Amino acid sequence: MTTVAAPGELTAATEDGPSQLSQKAEQLARVSGRWVGAIVIALAVFSVLIMTKGANPITVFSDAWTNTVQSPFAMQQALVKAGPMILAALAMVVPARAGLVNVGGEGQLLIGAVAAAGVAQVADGRLVGPVLIVLMALGGLVAGALWSGLAALLRVSAKVNEAVGTLLLNFIALDLLLFLIYQPWKDPNGTGQPASPPLQLDARLPMFLGSSVNIGIVIAVLAAILTWALLRFTRWGFKLAVAGGNPEAARRAGMPVSSLLMSSMLLGGAFAGLGGMLYYAGTEFQLRPGMLATIGYTAFLASWLVRHRPLAVVVSAVVLSILIVSGDSLQIDSHLPAATINILTGLLLIAVLGWTQMPWRKPKGSA
Amino acid sequence: MAQAEGIRMNIFVDVLSGGVSGGTSIMYAALGETVSERAGVINLGTEGCMLMGAFSGFAVTSMTGSPWLGMLAAAAAGGVLALIHAILVVSRKSNQFASGLSLLFLALGITALYGSGYVGQQINGFDIISIPVLSSIPVIGPVLFEQNILTYISYFVAPALWFVIFRTRIGLMLRTAGESSEVLTVNGYSIAKVRYLAVVTGGVFAGFGGAYLSVAYSQSWFENMIVGRGFIAVALVVFAAWDPLKVIGGAYLFGSALALSPVLQARGYEINQFALDMLPFVLTLVLLVFLGRRAVDSTPAELRKVFDNARA
Repeated sequence: MTTVAAPGELTAATEDGPSQLSQKAEQLARVSGRWVGAIVIALAVFSVLIMTKGANPITVFSDAWTNTVQSPFAMQQALVKAGPMILAALAMVVPARAGLVNVGGEGQLLIGAVAAAGVAQVADGRLVGPVLIVLMALGGLVAGALWSGLAALLRVSAKVNEAVGTLLLNFIALDLLLFLIYQPWKDPNGTGQPASPPLQLDARLPMFLGSSVNIGIVIAVLAAILTWALLRFTRWGFKLAVAGGNPEAARRAGMPVSSLLMSSMLLGGAFAGLGGMLYYAGTEFQLRPGMLATIGYTAFLASWLVRHRPLAVVVSAVVLSILIVSGDSLQIDSHLPAATINILTGLLLIAVLGWTQMPWRKPKGSA
Repeated sequence: MAQAEGIRMNIFVDVLSGGVSGGTSIMYAALGETVSERAGVINLGTEGCMLMGAFSGFAVTSMTGSPWLGMLAAAAAGGVLALIHAILVVSRKSNQFASGLSLLFLALGITALYGSGYVGQQINGFDIISIPVLSSIPVIGPVLFEQNILTYISYFVAPALWFVIFRTRIGLMLRTAGESSEVLTVNGYSIAKVRYLAVVTGGVFAGFGGAYLSVAYSQSWFENMIVGRGFIAVALVVFAAWDPLKVIGGAYLFGSALALSPVLQARGYEINQFALDMLPFVLTLVLLVFLGRRAVDSTPAELRKVFDNARA
């Protein structure tokens, strides 16, 4: 069974004796070799699959490179998506420390966006922008926490597995959003696709000068640093790791395991809820069907890709965001469906899950 | 008054009949997942296996004109995807939830890539066959005996699976792999082999269930057409306490919840479809809370380790 790296991280920091250094370096080389191997294999399989549809992988990759990585517009799009994705990935990172699996990032993002839109709906243009932004952020935080908290409560009180619970809540959140925008919150002036009314202009998140990147990404990175600090330096973070490592031992040591599990899910959900608010107030400005395009599920993979380390999640989320945006290039340049890029995402995670290990983790023979 | 009564009765029959035809897809997937979980492996990729099945079934039916070949291809596609899960989980000891979800992404991508040309196409799938005499029984007739052939097959598959799991040697091995795997080792059997077989069987069933949707139920293909049925199937297995016979009831319950919205809409009721779309998911959660508690006692021990995220 794959485990959270928390306790290992500590030992890695303390065990570094001079005699072990060369051994460590060798191990690191082997591990990075495995990572490169995993990525190459994922790319190779992906190439073969798109070749069967008549696409030339070299053209596809070079088009994706020029039109995504080298395109300022596309990179801005990726950064815009990365903010909520980092926050939704933190929704997996924090519970993972306590040994929980939160698959509900998507639903928690959605419900955060719904709450933010709800706050704006109630305010109805009567509040000045900054006040509304703060209230929407609070709404997002609370809604996300409630959504994941519900799954946590079911886990703690009724033994409903949290992975299954959060998954089901994703669909409920999506249907709730659709319900709202098809009827009660439908924009009366909207045309075509139903959507909620657009957010008032002064309550939209400020953007960096001359770009379409809003401050969401900064908030997300700050949240990642906060998470790292909380998990690493606080007693709560330590207790989480103990409860996650061996719940029975934690219980015997008198730790309130249930409330630890709950608190990890609440904090995680709050992050994702905030992410939903940022996406609404920074990018979309209205609720619409398909607004998230599975950012929340990708965030789950982003967390697993780096085995739930809060700072590394920033990197993996940015990389996966670039990958998502490059799906557009696939569609425009190579006439492949944009969803094709999911193959690469899936393959990458399969390769990384199955065939890479962190240097500080013991071989998993016993699991 | 009598007329209103009649209409209500019709709605009732329509919802139940829609519940059986719509629920059959979930039933096949949940039966497969029962096998997998009995061996101690949960597969969230069931959703992905259904998607692969739905696409492969539709594509092969469209190419060959034979829906039976389509079902065969669907079963194979579901099995192959599940095989990746088995490799990751059994041989590479990866996390079962993460592995399952990456499979879903893989399936979403593959079916989008190969399926784009099939959107909007027509096929000759499985149509409804009324069973003479039986179908004229009031209520039961239209609900149970005006269905397609795959639904009729499912009436036999679920009890047969129950028999295999609880009354045969291979079923005993399956349950042992999920309860106390070391007993298998002691007796010279390979846990890995049993689990591989169980997970792949689960995928085969899920693929079949997915193709049921595209080849029989809607006879069409569109991107991401499973929309959560696979996840419902996984949850259903839990509160059906890993018993194929209870899976039948659960599947029809969800089918009925899914059927409610189209049936009411067809009759011109002014309702917001999405409020009703929530119903199956809410129902699943509620049932997990009430039946889940009881089911906890019957959780296969190896599976409980996965649920509790125990570090072995």
